[in-house]
Amino acid sequence: MTVAVANLGVYWRAIPRPLRIITSRLLMLVPQMFGVMMVTFLLVRMLPGDPALLLLGNMATPDTIAAFREKLGLNLSLWEQFVHYVGNALHGDLGVSIFTSNPVVTDLLERAPATLELITYAMLLTILIGVTLAIISVVRAGGVVDIGSRVYGLAAGAIPDFWVGLLLIYFFFYILGWAPAPFGRIDTFVSPPDTVTGFYTIDSLIAGDLNAFVSSLGRLTLPVLTLAIVNAGALMKMTKTTFADIYRSDFIRHARASGLSEGTIRRIALRNSLPPIITLVGFMFGFLLGAAVLVETIFAWGGLGQYAVQSVVNSDYPALQGFVLVAAAFILIVYTVVDILYELADPRIRV
Amino acid sequence: MTRFIRYVSRHPGAMVGLTLLALQIASILFAPWLTFYSPEEADPLMSLQPPSAAHWFGTDVSGMDIYTRIVYATRINLLISIVAVAFAFVVGVPIGLLIGFYRNWMSALVMRVFDFIQSFPVFVLGMALVSVMGQEIWNVAIVLAVLFIPMFARLIRAEVLSLRERPYVSAARCSGATDGSIMFRHILPNALTPAIVQVSISIGLAILLTAGLSFVGAGVRMPTPEWGLMVSTGAQQMILGVWWVALFPGLAIVISVLSFALLGDMVKDLSDPTTRERL
Repeated sequence: MTVAVANLGVYWRAIPRPLRIITSRLLMLVPQMFGVMMVTFLLVRMLPGDPALLLLGNMATPDTIAAFREKLGLNLSLWEQFVHYVGNALHGDLGVSIFTSNPVVTDLLERAPATLELITYAMLLTILIGVTLAIISVVRAGGVVDIGSRVYGLAAGAIPDFWVGLLLIYFFFYILGWAPAPFGRIDTFVSPPDTVTGFYTIDSLIAGDLNAFVSSLGRLTLPVLTLAIVNAGALMKMTKTTFADIYRSDFIRHARASGLSEGTIRRIALRNSLPPIITLVGFMFGFLLGAAVLVETIFAWGGLGQYAVQSVVNSDYPALQGFVLVAAAFILIVYTVVDILYELADPRIRV
Repeated sequence: MTRFIRYVSRHPGAMVGLTLLALQIASILFAPWLTFYSPEEADPLMSLQPPSAAHWFGTDVSGMDIYTRIVYATRINLLISIVAVAFAFVVGVPIGLLIGFYRNWMSALVMRVFDFIQSFPVFVLGMALVSVMGQEIWNVAIVLAVLFIPMFARLIRAEVLSLRERPYVSAARCSGATDGSIMFRHILPNALTPAIVQVSISIGLAILLTAGLSFVGAGVRMPTPEWGLMVSTGAQQMILGVWWVALFPGLAIVISVLSFALLGDMVKDLSDPTTRERL
């Protein structure tokens, strides 16, 4: 037995390191996904009352309820029900939305690109603002940017994102008239581009439709700005701490003593503070997904977040259950990718 | 006490934080005397009045006085947040102590469960839980408490892990102290500081989450005065240029969260012996 285990170890070591990192991390994903499904399953079972009635809505007849009880296996033990649920979920069956009467999977897939486009651009702008401010305030410590960013960091943590969104709408749409109305991803009179990636900005460029590109870019501005203003503060604070530690470390002092230019020194310092920043950016993705729920509501974005809010308002439990499952799965995948990148970036980590 | 006064007098941030806290306590205690209208009584004839001498912050769509509602909402918002954080502290601290002190499979399992809870986006999980449990004020508090327990347990556990190896713990053990007395009498008092600092920050976070939940309709419901709910009633009007309905309750959220962040900084400085020496 021990010999066999030792042999396994030898085989394991023979696999190239990147592959080892990816396999071990992907294997961890299985129990995690299992846990996520357990939570979403229990979420609806926690509800007082008959889950069949709740999942079908008030319009259901006793016959359909009985049939649905059978389909859900509500007469079986809790454990068997769970196995049922996992089986269905793995086959892409998350039930039918009470409100839209479409399969939840169809609804979610239809709306996912809107949310992904929003949070991707928000992420990019957040990184741009957060990291730039952090670097300037460390390099020019005590300067205007340093002091300003300290105030901003404190304030950004206290401002509700939905409120910032509304203020931006008031100033840039109502007062100044610069921004388009907060009604969705593209002007009503502009037809959306053919779907390739699902991102309107990219698809319109592929289609060569400049009109649609400008329109969708305009619509993105305020919601992306809202998310970035609120979230860049946290990223800035944490990047500042990491970057400041490295910027004042011995090897940077050595680099400076060796006569390297300030530009080169900053580049070295930034590259060495990248691993923790990568982790942070991963966390921010999860955070932005939560924040998107609020921001999408304000801008009538029509993405996953608005779908989730709708499902809460309409007590549409299959939809809510599906959204939580997909959101958690998305985050788990992002974290997995982040972990893999982190381990690949740092050769000192043993796998 | 003199040290505290000296600290506050030298730190404008702490001064601002304490002043804002006093303002909120006054709002909670003296709401009926500070306001001139009823917080839940609609007056259709006075719908959407701009700020004036009679209505300092204007009125909302059903004619309720916004200033009055903001003052009364302090009770709801702070009550939910403080109850949630207190509950999370009381439950999370002993759990953290136990899983830090006993290093067995149970502790490992609890940690995995915490990892797992924390891997969900907080707002999404909160929204789903409140909507499933029913949109009652107490349910919002309970859900927030559950979401915050892992944070406190983790902070305590991290401290306990290093403290349990200290010589004074071995000394206590040699003199015949039981596990319980080592944990609660010797380790706990030394492990509490980071968790206490976190209390203030968490209250701010809870206020933001409560407001967000009510904003999307998964929290407190009308006509209860609550800041996030008040912002949401003004959301549609913002596009039409009616700014006061959403602006003022939002400011109240910012002020409240900011005060708890500043107080958190103050508690952190005061509990840190190295800053104490500099005073």
